[in-house]
Amino acid sequence: MKHIEVIAKSTICRESGSGCGECQSSCQSACKTSCTVGNQSCEQKKTNNIFKESK
Amino acid sequence: MVHTFRCLDRFFALDVESGSVFEIDELTKELIDGYGTPLDETKGVLSCYSKREIDEARGEIEELIAEHILFTPEAEHKPPAYGGIVKSLCLNVSHNCSLRCEYCFADGGSYNTERLNMDKKVAFAAIDFLIERSGTRRNLEVDFFGGEPLLNMGVVRDTVAYARSFEKSRGKNFRFTITTNAYNLTDEDIDFFNKEMYNVVLSIDGRKEVHNRVRKTASGKDSYDEIVANALRFRAKRGDRQYYIRGTYTALNKDFSRDVLALNDLGFDQISIEPVVLPQSHRLAIKKEDIPFLTEQYEILAREYIERRKTDKWFNFFHFMIDISGGPCETKRLVGCGAGNEYLAIAPSGNIYPCHQFDGKPDYVIGNVLDGTFDDTLPRKFASVNLLTKRGCCDCWAKYYCSGGCAANSVNFCGDVFAPYTITCELMKKRVECAIAIHSIERKNKVFSKN
Repeated sequence: MKHIEVIAKSTICRESGSGCGECQSSCQSACKTSCTVGNQSCEQKKTNNIFKESK
Repeated sequence: MVHTFRCLDRFFALDVESGSVFEIDELTKELIDGYGTPLDETKGVLSCYSKREIDEARGEIEELIAEHILFTPEAEHKPPAYGGIVKSLCLNVSHNCSLRCEYCFADGGSYNTERLNMDKKVAFAAIDFLIERSGTRRNLEVDFFGGEPLLNMGVVRDTVAYARSFEKSRGKNFRFTITTNAYNLTDEDIDFFNKEMYNVVLSIDGRKEVHNRVRKTASGKDSYDEIVANALRFRAKRGDRQYYIRGTYTALNKDFSRDVLALNDLGFDQISIEPVVLPQSHRLAIKKEDIPFLTEQYEILAREYIERRKTDKWFNFFHFMIDISGGPCETKRLVGCGAGNEYLAIAPSGNIYPCHQFDGKPDYVIGNVLDGTFDDTLPRKFASVNLLTKRGCCDCWAKYYCSGGCAANSVNFCGDVFAPYTITCELMKKRVECAIAIHSIERKNKVFSKN
């Protein structure tokens, strides 16, 4: 494609079995006053590791 | 719904329902924005492009629609019904504090009540309550908060040991976190944190003068030098375990990007700076007219963020860490923080509140862990707050990233848990746009977090 670059496809997980509730409550991660949910990790996938691989 | 935007001199499109993200050119942005309506190709941006280019871009849009990743119809949602499960507690282990921060929502830690410490009996009863109410949930979270939890470390230590003693027999995994101002942080505390705490949040507001202006000690002295020295000792010993340096920006430091970078310059690599939440009449409150300046600050920060992450000053900014390629499931995105439902707070008296920000508000007492009372009226109400019921959220492009925002802010500043606090809405949207742009640029630069 010349005009559009796909960065990510279908990222909202609606698979059956999702919603297990084992993930961290967003307020416990850092904010305490400003809820963000999109930056939380799925407990089953653990994709959002916060540290750089090699420093 | 498709949201198109310009950020960091590039154009992007977010297909809201699928979560698909695209980097696009200006022509495509124009075509997506006008999709389904007759467009005059001789006017505006379109007049700069040939018929062949316009047809080509239209063809690409149609291709993605056929693939069900652009203009995806709204999904049928089924938010979970109230199940009475509790998985997360905030223990306000001390209603006292070593600091008197001018913007403190807890009135210097007291929550407008007596400056009491939580005793062991209450803390243990809270752990019993959590285990009993957690159903089949394995991962349970306890955040030690206050006031200042360092002022009651004996109870923190005993509570961790008490909870751990049930992990095997009850099939639970406790994740402890602590939120501290680090003013009295000792090496002994640091070693304990590194052994037991899944996450540690240390409060520093950024530049020395910014911090000292609003974060005074109880006796009115500056606190920056002691806190930074303690936090650096902690950082040196923390390794790759989770922590955040968490600051607050106010009307006095609207140029907060400089505070984030000042924290990074000190050597911290996990940083979160949040807008203050105060009544509009307060001198430190963020006002609606501040939003254009503040959104520009996020973009300024994003530019420097990308540059620093290529160097030995690599760092994470909490609100730019949105996982564009995955992240939480739809259920979590629908229900948000879980306050008043899966997430509750316990005061030193044993009173149960919907979250830490409700502590001390008589109308929000749910029960008490000592006497075993628990009225599920408020939990049922809070459980019914979700993207489908919070006013206006359903039609917002950022809904799956903010999930309706902070319940306490809604109550405190809108008087209604179903009403979004719109000042933070605008800031949230800008942070999501920056996060998408950063992800796209770093994907090309191959600067990733560890996956």
